[in-house]
Amino acid sequence: MTSAPAVHISGLHKTVHVGFRRRAVQILKGVDLRVEDGAVFGLLGPNGAGKTTTVKVALGLMRPTSGSVELGVPGLSHVGYLPENPYFYDYLSGREFLGFCGQLFGLDADVRRERVRALLGDVGLEAAADTHLRKYSKGMLQRIGIAQALVNDPELVLLDEPMTGLDPVGRVEVKRIIESLHERGKTVLFNSHILSDVNELCSQIAIMREGRVVWHGSVDDALEDAPTLEDFFMKVVTA
Amino acid sequence: MKQVAAIAVNTFKETIRDRVLAVIVVFALIMIVGGLWLGSISLGEQGRMMKDFGLVAVTFFGLIVAVFVAAGLVHKEVEKRTVFVLFSKPVSRAAFITGKFIGLCGTMAVVLAGMGVFLFLLVWAVAGDASSMILVAVLMIYVQLLAVMAVTIFFSTMGSAILASVLGICVFVAGQLSHNVLSLTRLGKNAVTEALSWVIYVVIPNFSAVDVKAGVVGEDTLAWGEIAIWSGYLLAYVVVVLALASLVFRRKEF
Repeated sequence: MTSAPAVHISGLHKTVHVGFRRRAVQILKGVDLRVEDGAVFGLLGPNGAGKTTTVKVALGLMRPTSGSVELGVPGLSHVGYLPENPYFYDYLSGREFLGFCGQLFGLDADVRRERVRALLGDVGLEAAADTHLRKYSKGMLQRIGIAQALVNDPELVLLDEPMTGLDPVGRVEVKRIIESLHERGKTVLFNSHILSDVNELCSQIAIMREGRVVWHGSVDDALEDAPTLEDFFMKVVTA
Repeated sequence: MKQVAAIAVNTFKETIRDRVLAVIVVFALIMIVGGLWLGSISLGEQGRMMKDFGLVAVTFFGLIVAVFVAAGLVHKEVEKRTVFVLFSKPVSRAAFITGKFIGLCGTMAVVLAGMGVFLFLLVWAVAGDASSMILVAVLMIYVQLLAVMAVTIFFSTMGSAILASVLGICVFVAGQLSHNVLSLTRLGKNAVTEALSWVIYVVIPNFSAVDVKAGVVGEDTLAWGEIAIWSGYLLAYVVVVLALASLVFRRKEF
């Protein structure tokens, strides 16, 4: 018997209306996805495939037109999320921002302080902890974004392009964080265009194209079909 | 409640650290000092002119802060996509709107208290007839501006920040005149126009009913019972408008 999935999406459709004439654009055309509990899952696809929209619907930032999303956690207090190209409050320091996020999860002051201190160390921002975020580089914002996604010690972590803007050192650190989350039994779902990272970190992947999941399986299965994950990806998205 | 408090504190930090706010306050203080000149050219009425002009300056600059800061509060979060961070956490739309409003109330209290105390000290030092009524008048300006802030936040959940600012100012101006409009339509004895002006009178609060500036300069006798009732009405109005803003904002997707 299999355990309950961490994310179960079935028949998900999303249509938005754009422009003056409210033209209907179908972003998601029946997404089916199952992410097992404790997995590191890579959601891949070319730009505009619907990866970010799928995640946003899963989080309730957008409403589905039809279909369903079930998270295997009791609520958003058990979920961590890093948006794509994150932008945070300029006038707060890194420490204040993480403290604010901890408050939103209702963490007690002592727990919050300790969690913030540890996370600043994990993402290598101890020295910049009291610097205002407007002075952070893109890579530093990405790191603080990852830290805010983990401030509640979530069971399910959704990361949208977590490696964007990071230098090689930053990428190694983020990979370590993801590995450590996996070791602690957390479920990680991330979108990425960097297939070498996906190959290194993920056990399962799904490839989206034009609003649908067109392939879903293990990285090993993908590599049986093609010499590299990149080749397999190109084969699937151009098929 | 913890989320509301966190958002309120964050909004207070955001607005109080805004350099534009500091510039507006400096201008307001310069304007209040400008009342010295007006006082010097009005024979025997120096204190009265300073109070009158100073309270108008407090109202004007308070209104500028109220509408422009309130209009940007929600809009900036959406535009800069910080809402992704907020609403991916257990934060309801109502908690967001309420927290934003309370945070801005704190900033407005600091701004108005600063201007009010400055005016009080200036009148006391120059004309020697400062009364605590100056501070009461500033408090009543604060009550009016609470309603303006709530209305502006409501409009900002539906449209652009500029449109929300303009509509916020319109509501403030209309609220100063709504009582006169009602009185005038009563003279016409037309049931339809009178009913219409009643609707406007309820939808746009009667700000002039809590305006005690005339009382401060001794032009008017103040009916405190009526002022208290109208203040209660304005606070209830704030609650209703914020509830409507939350309802509208709940429908938003990001």
